[in-house]
Amino acid sequence: MTHPPPDLGASAERTRLAWRRTTLSAGVLVLLAARPAFGPGAGPGQWIAAALAGLGWSALVALAYRRARALRRHPPFPGRRSITAYALTTVALAVLAGVIVTL
Amino acid sequence: MFGGLRQWIDPEKTPTVGRAPDYRFSLANERTFLAWIRTGLALVAGGLGCAQFLPPLPITYLREIIAVALLVLGGIVALRAVDHWARTERAMRLGEELPGSKFPALLAVIVALGALLLIVAVLLQSPR
Repeated sequence: MTHPPPDLGASAERTRLAWRRTTLSAGVLVLLAARPAFGPGAGPGQWIAAALAGLGWSALVALAYRRARALRRHPPFPGRRSITAYALTTVALAVLAGVIVTL
Repeated sequence: MFGGLRQWIDPEKTPTVGRAPDYRFSLANERTFLAWIRTGLALVAGGLGCAQFLPPLPITYLREIIAVALLVLGGIVALRAVDHWARTERAMRLGEELPGSKFPALLAVIVALGALLLIVAVLLQSPR
């Protein structure tokens, strides 16, 4: 185990790109969630929802960044808590979207 | 389906037995998880898009119902993604058979049924 095999399949690189892609998808969601705050009839409810969505996206970006750093090692650390945290933040964004729709 | 919440937090510690698999397998599992998360994110974004860009439909609150259904589906996909990731990680550590899942088929059937409903709704609308 002193010489780990080289990463011939570029799996760390592909995983890093997958994290980036996912965070970009989340960005689209957050823009849609923030949209009512800039439309006509925007009130404190919409503003707070937009702020929370931005906060959620910041959390996702931070988690993806942390994970990308852990993947830079060789051999890379397998993901653990950041994966669960990412999924739960996504669920929280879904709940927030439900609030925005019914607002 | 969501048995063993502890597993989500720390799949490496539960169980303490088992050996770390080749990291490439772990990363493949992680990418599968991320692909599912993107599916969930797309469903949630679709729900928000329905609520914001569809005109009010002839049936009261139908637009909101479609939107909320998509949001709920997106949330379920995300929860199931982390559950499946944790169970796969555990199976790999124990050298067991990877967990199978009916969820992709179920999701496909739900999406197909939704598409059928929308086709019927479009056809039933009076032609202009």
